[in-house]
Amino acid sequence: MAVENTPVTEGKKTNPIKAFFANLFKPKERVSADAGEKNNWKAWLYLAPTIILLAVFTFYPLINTIFIAFLKNYDYVTQSHEGFTFENFGVVLGLLGKSPDGMIPRWQCIGFESDGVLGHYLDASGAQKDAYFTMDVIRYAFPNTLIITFVTVPISIIIALLISIGLNSIPAFQKMFQTIFFIPYVTNAIAVGMVFAVLFDYKGIINYLFQLGNLTWVDQGAPTWRAMIALCVYIVWHSLPYKILIFLSGLQNIDKQYYDAAKIDSAGGFKTMMNVTVPLLSPQILYIMITSFIGAFKEYTSVVGLFGKSSTDGGGTNNMYTVVYYIYDQVKGNVQYGAAAAVLLFIVILLFTAIQFKVSKKRVHY
Amino acid sequence: MEIRIKDLTKIFPGNPKKGIPDTHAVDKLNITIPDGQLVGLLGPSGCGKSTTLYMVSGLLEPTDGEIWFGDEDVTDLEPEKRGIGLVFQNYALYPHMTVYKNVAFPLTNLRLEEPVLGPDGKQRVDVDGKPEYKKRKLTKDEIDKIVRETARIVQIEPYLERKPSQLSGGQQQRVAIARALVKKPKVLLLDEPLSNLDARLRLQTREEIRHIQQSTGITTIFVTHDQEEAMSISDKIVVMKLGIKQQEGVPQDVYNDPCNKFVANFLGTPPINLFKGRIADHKVYVGEDCVRVITPEEVESAKKLGRDLSDQEVTVGIRPEGIVIGGNEPDNFRFKVDRILTMGRDIMLVSDHEQKLSDTKFVIDAFTKVSVGEVTCSVKPHKCFAFSLAEGEPRLI
Repeated sequence: MAVENTPVTEGKKTNPIKAFFANLFKPKERVSADAGEKNNWKAWLYLAPTIILLAVFTFYPLINTIFIAFLKNYDYVTQSHEGFTFENFGVVLGLLGKSPDGMIPRWQCIGFESDGVLGHYLDASGAQKDAYFTMDVIRYAFPNTLIITFVTVPISIIIALLISIGLNSIPAFQKMFQTIFFIPYVTNAIAVGMVFAVLFDYKGIINYLFQLGNLTWVDQGAPTWRAMIALCVYIVWHSLPYKILIFLSGLQNIDKQYYDAAKIDSAGGFKTMMNVTVPLLSPQILYIMITSFIGAFKEYTSVVGLFGKSSTDGGGTNNMYTVVYYIYDQVKGNVQYGAAAAVLLFIVILLFTAIQFKVSKKRVHY
Repeated sequence: MEIRIKDLTKIFPGNPKKGIPDTHAVDKLNITIPDGQLVGLLGPSGCGKSTTLYMVSGLLEPTDGEIWFGDEDVTDLEPEKRGIGLVFQNYALYPHMTVYKNVAFPLTNLRLEEPVLGPDGKQRVDVDGKPEYKKRKLTKDEIDKIVRETARIVQIEPYLERKPSQLSGGQQQRVAIARALVKKPKVLLLDEPLSNLDARLRLQTREEIRHIQQSTGITTIFVTHDQEEAMSISDKIVVMKLGIKQQEGVPQDVYNDPCNKFVANFLGTPPINLFKGRIADHKVYVGEDCVRVITPEEVESAKKLGRDLSDQEVTVGIRPEGIVIGGNEPDNFRFKVDRILTMGRDIMLVSDHEQKLSDTKFVIDAFTKVSVGEVTCSVKPHKCFAFSLAEGEPRLI
């Protein structure tokens, strides 16, 4: 956008004080070329703590994860492996099964047990043998993650938007409510999860309030869809404060004159919200949308906090798996599968974020 | 539509605990604005002129007083029901909408009231015998027609599909006026409409505002702190200070006949020259120089108005254009020229007069022969005023 024009439209004049300081801190023109080179090591020294920490805890694991995802039978204790392969991705996606004869593709099986994990195939001599497939990602982790993402993100954004618009329009107690709404953000996710587990207990207050009898939500025996409702309620609640904070600060930066103008133009409350507030808040909404999509794709602590494990249906299946929960579980012995799942998740998130940027280009007004 | 403002008062409450007193932004203001006129509210910042405008618009609630649009008391009416158009100081154009949408936005909220026609083609009446009306939105074609018509008046037709940020200040200004005009308001309110424009554009735009106002005939109030701007386009100006109206009238009258020192000092560029002086024997002196003789008629009329023209210390004000160089009569004004500033059309004499209360600047014709040093001049009587030393008192002469 044309930067030099925005001050007029936004109603902000160029602040002479700011301009003065900007001028003051403007990098001085180098008198001699070597002045910069001499002081280079100083700059690196100042950057070193951050760079070292990032390198050790972010860049190295990042690259190493991608590397491990392509290793065959990787053992993270001895660091040994049997060469490079794409098999890990096949296993994670349930396309390749383990058998005495090595990896068997799904389409070579002649039959499956009902859960799809155990398949039968005929070996070279024509004898029937068993192959074991990993169905947790395809059956539970990936669908659950998608449900969490596409349910909680829109709902929490809309609720946060309404709350912050409401908060912004009450002059009294605004600071107090702002603080109250922010408290969940600083509360530990596991602790909040335990509170929600109590609320959703079969003898809990939710069942009591809504007269639902002894419905199970988070205990053993709760069907996936009901457990998912409890999980989504918890995730929405826990993700509101940060969104409210961002939206509120965005709202407070909107010039009041736009609302005066809308009032004179006899636009009603809802119309003003849709035509003035939301478009002027669109940069914040986009930011929140992208970060919470990414956050929802990585949902994991909420499941642990609420259920304490990955299963509620009593059958021993991992019906409450999320992708990151699966990745975490693989660390115990199958790091390469976890790494492969992480790479897949990375690609999915990258795709969604790219789509969001593309779609939002027309709708976001800076 | 005639606008009458009666005893309008706005008090912003202070905080007694912290010792912040109440602010009387507007204090018992009475103005009548005749139908179809352009009136400038003029005053230094903090004089309550914008507050007055926002009270007329309905965005601010008055503490006391009444606002009448014609025969209708609108004091407690919602802003959207007052039939006003408001142009904000920084235009408040919606940055995410195109110019077209900005201008069309008020129309999309408008509801037309139309009589309901029965099968016989006459207006239907309800059970109580009242004629029935129904409300409807404007159609797309109707909106389009009005938007394009308004765009033509303010000459923004080529920019309809642009965003406000792609327009210059003057163009944005015209879009803001178009948005205010599009509903065909009864009253147009302009809040410092030219303050965001550069000097040249300001001159041009103020002519345009005048032109648009005259062609539409809408009663217009505009607020400004720039006296030149107000005087040049207003039918009438109202000078305010600290929430109190000082003087209202046709611009030239107010300039020629300021009611007190504040108005005399506020109007005119460069501002009026103020000197310490005295009245002695019906003559006005600055130092030892007599600058003005008070005629017997003036004494007579001052007596009627109850003004005291007896011998006393006064503040003397002489307009910069109020001197004629030359002459050697006993009642001549002498001063020392320190610097001569060439302005092109005329020249400005800067003096450090020992009796001065403000910077002394005189403007004379560029062909006048004058050099740095002592000059003698005569003062035009109608450009010379005397004010009592007390603040806020009416002008003596």
